[in-house]
Amino acid sequence: MTEPVTGIGLAVVIVGLALTTLVTRTSFLVAGSRLKLGHRVEMALRYAPVCTLAAIIVPDVLMHGGSWDVGLLEPRLIGVAAAGIWLCVSRNIVGCLATGMLAFSLARLYL
Amino acid sequence: MGIDAEHRQLVSARAERRAAFRAGQRAILPSLPGSAAWGLISGVAMVKGGLAVPWAITMSLLVYGASAQLAALPLIAAGAPLWVIVATGFITNLRFVIYSAALRPHFANESARVRAALGFFMTDFTFTLFMRRAQEGTLPEANRVAWFAGVCSNNWLTWQTCAITGVVAASYVPTQWGLEFTGTLALVALVGPSLRARPALVGAVIAGVVALLGHGLPFRLGLFCGAIAGIIAATVADHLASREPPAGAPA
Repeated sequence: MTEPVTGIGLAVVIVGLALTTLVTRTSFLVAGSRLKLGHRVEMALRYAPVCTLAAIIVPDVLMHGGSWDVGLLEPRLIGVAAAGIWLCVSRNIVGCLATGMLAFSLARLYL
Repeated sequence: MGIDAEHRQLVSARAERRAAFRAGQRAILPSLPGSAAWGLISGVAMVKGGLAVPWAITMSLLVYGASAQLAALPLIAAGAPLWVIVATGFITNLRFVIYSAALRPHFANESARVRAALGFFMTDFTFTLFMRRAQEGTLPEANRVAWFAGVCSNNWLTWQTCAITGVVAASYVPTQWGLEFTGTLALVALVGPSLRARPALVGAVIAGVVALLGHGLPFRLGLFCGAIAGIIAATVADHLASREPPAGAPA
């Protein structure tokens, strides 16, 4: 694994992320009526966040340090599964996090 | 007489604007617990994801976007290339382009500076509230800028206060508690509710599988391949679903 991003690199990342917030949120509000969103483009934009987040989460949970780690008793997997089950019945995110953390901690301590 | 009447009109216009601003601040109250929770979680996740307290606070104040920040954290921790992290944040923020286009007609008469300011402080919560009120026709027509400014200011204050509280509180929690895992769980909580829509579920599954298969690729290309494959799959699924709507179900 490489080193975490720190120092000037981190400053660049923060400014870059701030710009992405600014550009996306103000895009059409400022650019005005000259631009128009096509139906297909709007669909792609709508599904972009959930797909990107899924592409981050899945490898993050199932892999460790670049290798497969798919034991069913892996605490992270158990935590995510518990959080997922919670989300099927409730939208309360605090409960979701508490359930996930509890399952993760119990699995880490006792399995 | 003329000047006096004009002055009175000005004063009452200002009073109306202020009343609209306060009405906006009240209108967002029911969403504030949600905002507070996301702020707190982002704050905790940033510190436990490895950011030093000053960096975490700077990020919170400048970026002001829970999903982009949470998506960036695992990449920052893994030392991904800078452009990869920023590009990931950008894709995560793309939904705001749709919001921005939807808000545009409501603020068409305002100056570009006002529109930019309203845009930057818009979030999922404030946008949803604005659009609901616009559909109901319950916006204060003449003072919608002041009203939306009230909505956004209260939301911003709540989110930032809770994020900074989370940052400071998390720095006192021992690492052995494994609180860094809240970042992953928060991403799950972001994605979960959207998966009720079939196309989003298809897209997320494809994105996850492709990202997993492409994990070893350089520059985190697996992440982008996964995201793009997922977006294409979701768009196709949406297209197919809208072509043959199931009997009785509204589109």
